[in-house]
Amino acid sequence: MVKPFEFKQCINILKSTGEKAISLRELRKQIASVSDVTIFHHTYQYFMKGHILEYTNDFAQWIGENLEEAALSEQIANIDPYEYSQISELREKLLNVIDEYFDNFPEPRDTLPGSEFYFVETITLIFPSGVKAKNLAEFLIAIRYIDAASIYYHFYEARIRLGSGADDFSKWIKDTLGKNELAENIMGIDPFMHNIEGIREHLEEIIEEEVKKEMESMEI
Amino acid sequence: MIDEYHGIAPKGDLLLIHKLGEKFNGRSFLHINSTRQGGGVAEILQRMIPLLRDIGINTRWEVLKGDSRFYDITKKIHNALQGNPEKITDDMWDYHYEINRKNSEELDLEADTVLIHDPQPLPLIKFRKNGNWIWRCHIDLSNPEIGVCERMLKYCANYESAIFSMPNFARAMKISEFIIPPSIDPLSEKNRELSDVEIRETLEKFDIPPDRPIILQVSRFDRFKDPVGVIKAYRMVKKYNDCILILAGSPATDDPEGETVLNEVREFAENDPDIYILLLPPFSDRDINALQRAATVVLQKSLKEGFGLTVSEAMWKGKPVIGGATGGIPLQIAHRFTGFLVRTPEGAAFRTRQFLNNPVMLKRMGENGREYVRNNFLITRQVRDYLSVWYAIENKDDTVFEI
Repeated sequence: MVKPFEFKQCINILKSTGEKAISLRELRKQIASVSDVTIFHHTYQYFMKGHILEYTNDFAQWIGENLEEAALSEQIANIDPYEYSQISELREKLLNVIDEYFDNFPEPRDTLPGSEFYFVETITLIFPSGVKAKNLAEFLIAIRYIDAASIYYHFYEARIRLGSGADDFSKWIKDTLGKNELAENIMGIDPFMHNIEGIREHLEEIIEEEVKKEMESMEI
Repeated sequence: MIDEYHGIAPKGDLLLIHKLGEKFNGRSFLHINSTRQGGGVAEILQRMIPLLRDIGINTRWEVLKGDSRFYDITKKIHNALQGNPEKITDDMWDYHYEINRKNSEELDLEADTVLIHDPQPLPLIKFRKNGNWIWRCHIDLSNPEIGVCERMLKYCANYESAIFSMPNFARAMKISEFIIPPSIDPLSEKNRELSDVEIRETLEKFDIPPDRPIILQVSRFDRFKDPVGVIKAYRMVKKYNDCILILAGSPATDDPEGETVLNEVREFAENDPDIYILLLPPFSDRDINALQRAATVVLQKSLKEGFGLTVSEAMWKGKPVIGGATGGIPLQIAHRFTGFLVRTPEGAAFRTRQFLNNPVMLKRMGENGREYVRNNFLITRQVRDYLSVWYAIENKDDTVFEI
């Protein structure tokens, strides 16, 4: 009996930390001391927003839009959080990039009143989406219509939850269906380079190809 | 009742509402505010209370009773919390407390969770019987009169948590402070789908031609909404594109400057026959809905703003919005995706021209905006969030909950 894949999804509720920054100097100080949950929210959870903004994390967005330090925001935006398995490593990388900027450029101006950076953290609620897939064909149909929040939970959030850099989809396909090559192909999709809908398209494409192969090799 | 939102609200939000409804089935949820009608809080509670009951939560809505002196005091407190200089004497504070004490004798304050809306009923916490008490602050506390704010926030220390609409509205306190933005109801008279006939009726009522591009701003006649800046932007657009401008708003009875600003706007409009200044009576929800649906481009060119839900209202109708980069507007307008953020009349004019000259972009951003509102600013998301906060309060010391 194949263990079905149970699709779940998550939502976040923001909580104020009471901390804010009006300058790059203050932003750096706070990045060094805020909780891991806060760093997680401003970097990894940015992908929940669907890449609709210019940069790829809240820090880069604020530095680019409010401090208007385009060079630094490019550098911060280029940090791929999924390269790091620990928040502490990501935090260190962020601090190093900002420090290097301080070493080479004049101090940026403060932001205008009303445009401060507010550090928040989140509580996360995970719940079943009511969809289960017992085989690859069902899995493909589910991928086509499940909420974006479900793809976020299994494809992005799982990488940190599982601690191995793997996502829930490729893990199930490998461990339960024994399809190693397909799992490898899914793991090859770069989470940093796509929005959630882009990930959905890639998953559909790769899985559909596999389902077609299965169907065509069936004996009549 | 909650089923009416199927196919409108995100499926995940409805699923979680049902899940949390099962968890809290038969338990009691009490909301207290200071008015049954008028204002955004009452408007959303009228819709939210039946939804909560529908999912099995024993929900009540109580209203604080006060006299004119009490409301004068709370109006001053409200203004001071939003940054206006106001003097609140000890006598006034005592009276504020006394009215709350009297109400506590008449109101049934027993509930598993009590949500106190805004500052008027804040002192009721002193008469708590049981349950979790949460203060829901709908107003902008980002730049308050410090003395008044500190006095109010002393009451907060006894609450389990507070909820603010935006991170910059929150104050440094020792209790948990959640951030929950306000929402619109897609089924209310202001936001429901309208037929072409209904839209045409409104246009005919105001003698607005249906066949020319319409630029619309819906807001009170208040300098912070920059109606004069909107007319300047319209004039810049008009040099290149045929269009009409509609400035629609209700007279603000509690704003002594309203009439002065309205006169300034009329004078600045110089009897331009293509500028329609509409003074709408209160409860003109259907007309506002129709104007938003008839508009080609919607502006909310505020210089200072609370949350600015009119932006979400217009986006829900598939209209791209050009908004001032202030208050809650940047939370609703993702620049270049659901509309444009601007800082000047020139910026508003340029972006309006872009829309008028590029119907494909206009349609695409309008559609993006509607989806953005669907995922972030509908009443079902707010119900979901309130229940999630309740769940988090009862399951302390954790940040991830599997339901």
